[in-house]
Amino acid sequence: MTISLKNIEKSFKTDTVLDGVSLSVDTGETLVLFGPSGAGKTVLLRLIAGVIEPEAGEIWVNGVNMDGVEPEDRGIGMAFQNFALFPHMDAFANIASPLTARRQSKSVMRQTVDQVAKLLKIDHVLHHKPKELSNGQKQRTALARALAAQPSILLLDDPLRNVDAKLRFEMRLELPRLLKDQNATVIYVTQDYKEAMALGHRIAVMSNHGIQQIGTPEDIYLRPANIEIARLFGDPVINLLSVRPERGANGVVVNLSDTPIEMAAGFEATIGTDCVLGLRPEALHFVPEGTPGAIPVEVETETPLNEKTVTLALTARKREIMVSRPAGSPGPSRGRAYLLVDAGQALLFDRESGARIAPSTHNGLQEDVA
Amino acid sequence: MLTTSPIERILRGLAITLVCLFFMFPIVWIFLMSFQTNETILRIPPSVVFAPTLDNYQALITGKLETAAGMLEINFMRNLGNSLFLSATSVAIGLLLGVPAAYAFARLKFKGSEDIAFTLLSFRFAPPLLVLLPLTIYFQQLGLANTYGGLIWVYQLIVLPLILWIVRGYFEDIPADIEYAYRIAGHDFWSTFRRIALPLAGPGIAAAGLLSFIFAWNNFVFALVLASADKQPVTVGALAFVTASGIQYGQVAAGIVLSIAPTFALALYAQRYLVEGLSLGAVKG
Amino acid sequence: MTTAMTGQPRPRRFRVSRRVLPYLLSLPALLTCIGILIPFGTAVIYSLQRYRLSQPWARKFNWGENYFNFLSDSAFWNTLKVSVVYAGLTVVLELLLGLGIALLLQKRSRVNNFVSIMLLMPLMTAPALAALMWKLMTNPGFGILSYFATLIGLEDFNWASDPSTAMLTVVIVDIWVYTPFIMILLLAGLRSLPQQPFEAAALDGVPRLFVFWRITLPMLTPFLLTATLFRVIESIQQFDIIYAMTQGGPGDRLTVFQVEAYLNFFQSTNVGRSAALLMILWAITYALSNIFIKNWLRLREKQRGEA
Repeated sequence: MTISLKNIEKSFKTDTVLDGVSLSVDTGETLVLFGPSGAGKTVLLRLIAGVIEPEAGEIWVNGVNMDGVEPEDRGIGMAFQNFALFPHMDAFANIASPLTARRQSKSVMRQTVDQVAKLLKIDHVLHHKPKELSNGQKQRTALARALAAQPSILLLDDPLRNVDAKLRFEMRLELPRLLKDQNATVIYVTQDYKEAMALGHRIAVMSNHGIQQIGTPEDIYLRPANIEIARLFGDPVINLLSVRPERGANGVVVNLSDTPIEMAAGFEATIGTDCVLGLRPEALHFVPEGTPGAIPVEVETETPLNEKTVTLALTARKREIMVSRPAGSPGPSRGRAYLLVDAGQALLFDRESGARIAPSTHNGLQEDVA
Repeated sequence: MLTTSPIERILRGLAITLVCLFFMFPIVWIFLMSFQTNETILRIPPSVVFAPTLDNYQALITGKLETAAGMLEINFMRNLGNSLFLSATSVAIGLLLGVPAAYAFARLKFKGSEDIAFTLLSFRFAPPLLVLLPLTIYFQQLGLANTYGGLIWVYQLIVLPLILWIVRGYFEDIPADIEYAYRIAGHDFWSTFRRIALPLAGPGIAAAGLLSFIFAWNNFVFALVLASADKQPVTVGALAFVTASGIQYGQVAAGIVLSIAPTFALALYAQRYLVEGLSLGAVKG
Repeated sequence: MTTAMTGQPRPRRFRVSRRVLPYLLSLPALLTCIGILIPFGTAVIYSLQRYRLSQPWARKFNWGENYFNFLSDSAFWNTLKVSVVYAGLTVVLELLLGLGIALLLQKRSRVNNFVSIMLLMPLMTAPALAALMWKLMTNPGFGILSYFATLIGLEDFNWASDPSTAMLTVVIVDIWVYTPFIMILLLAGLRSLPQQPFEAAALDGVPRLFVFWRITLPMLTPFLLTATLFRVIESIQQFDIIYAMTQGGPGDRLTVFQVEAYLNFFQSTNVGRSAALLMILWAITYALSNIFIKNWLRLREKQRGEA
């Protein structure tokens, strides 16, 4: 079961929401739509579900053009961010609603609902009305309703947005297995990059009325298309420093606090241009004084997070740099310290356009030969 | 909190008492009058001490009124029946026509929807006689003069705008996602309307129905112009009754009591929605 | 899950297109009301004709003559004056009284709630029946109000049948019926106001009169405006109370627009003049209701936004 969107355009009154969005999702794949609020993620889901119509473009589901196909005929399951449970029906009736539409017999309906409810651990509250359910139970009911008819296409609109942190954590672990068992094609909307990385086979990053980049979580994290995306993924956010690459002894170097840092091969074209150096906090390591290539910094504060410790340091030019290291590993105390850059993980962006500059492998090869 | 001095509290109490006196007195007085005979009514000075009698009500219900001029047959119960029939039928038809339209205006923002909704609303504010006077002539030609059907049609002028605007507000208050969810679950437009929108807007529809019933019941000018005696509701009938019954004032009072009792009962029942209805859905009570 | 369910899009069934649906839903209501628009058009034509029911043969277009004649027609100016005086008096008095009562009952308490429900009763009384009630109360033979008048030394106080007090009497009836309307709207308004400004003012010891003028009244303005316009539009068209009470009399004392038009039509059978009168009334109410609807919409948006 595939979904494919071709040049979708949608606007509300004069506000453009989607401007020429194309996308395709393969059978069994989970695609995460990730982006800030207002990027059009929810609108895209609603277009696929058929409750709103695009101004232009085509929506194909498994080779069928959805133009003019009513939402009830699209065979889609959808969970809403605000749950959208039917307030006058109990949880059972809510979950069973896709089955009543498909005219299932009472016994089949009961069996199916019980099964989904058990799976989602809400079988004990099936006869409660939505207002008697906790937020977590509401969320699970909404999910159960989306799953009940075993739709081959599932649209999940930030289903974990309105539940508490603990439940969100549990569900983040549970959901991938659940979605895998369904063997459904899933489009999952979220604003949480960790959720996106944990759940998506691929991630589509949306902003400015369109899709900025589509790729595997690894792709997006290690090879973000531009500064904006690099900033959206990663916590703490990537360090961004203005630099102007120069020719060094062994290739391209950038100067940080008068310390030349050797870049990986392939950045010759950037020499003399205005760039932004992107350094993930984990691409920086504290080293003892005197290590070659180390940058001197002042350590300002240190914040222990769950699995890592984040250090805020100032360079000689008073630029802030975040450094993270595995929790428990030794680090500097306040005061002077030295940082070594893992040049292999350093990213370069064009300062004007913000686009990432990919190292040219062709040139690199030639140099190796030479 | 603000502290209130004893003097202020006394003044407030006094003011509230005066207000109640002014607004309640006529109703109480008419109510008492309806249990009196002409002799006790005509006593000077008037007194609240009298032997209550149900004669007035009995005469109204049997339709046989004794007057100085002899036995008079006035079928006031027929007026009551007309009021009931006209109001109930108008409201039923108004709901049937108005609720789907209200849903269309609330949910499906279509071309010209606002203009149409406002045109309907503006009927509420036009002078009724402007329409009624030419209508008398048309009704003669169409054979609708002095028919229940004709009256019920014209009553839609009172009932429809009210239902449309109140129910529309209730439909708008239902989150669209709830209806979307039902559609996506596989139900078509009509069953979504029936199983989701209608039940969730239920209280609003009931309120609109009750209120428009009250307004239809209280209407005077439509029936005055378009109906003759056998089709007239109580508002018009009572007026004719005053002149016809000679000096049996207790019976007039009893007639008034019977005519206002139903709306009072409904108003008490629907008081939660009155503010909303009276402001055509603008102000929530 | 054992049941195999098809997730395939099902074949299209015949159904009403999305474009047609809204019209289909609203059309019956519209058609019902459009039937009413035709008589409106007819009224416009009548108003441009010389048309008397008693002389159907003399019916012909005289274009603006009906309107033009109003300029020198003292009966018309009387109608205009009486209507404006009636609307002005009733609305101003009801507004003051309604605001006063709403302020009295503002605090939620069982007594206040009970009183506010009781006060709805006059509003629920059909205006025509209310007029009848007051007619009985002001009856010179046994009316309790006539009796009270003699008690305070007003002999032969004839209420609605005396030209000098007829206006006063119908205005009182109007006040009796419609003050609760203003009261209930303003009460809902008062109770929906945010509490912080009042609490802050009370903490700072701001005088209550100042609070009323500077905080309460400005915040209540949309409600006041809605209630006032609503009432002006209805009051200038008042028919039920005046017709049931005096049929426009004594003399031409209370021949407001609709009463005058009614009498013109049914008594003097002057359809043309009657229609022209109503057209002028319509123009007035149309202008007012345009202002009203704008204000009403704003209030509605605001109230729904807060709900």
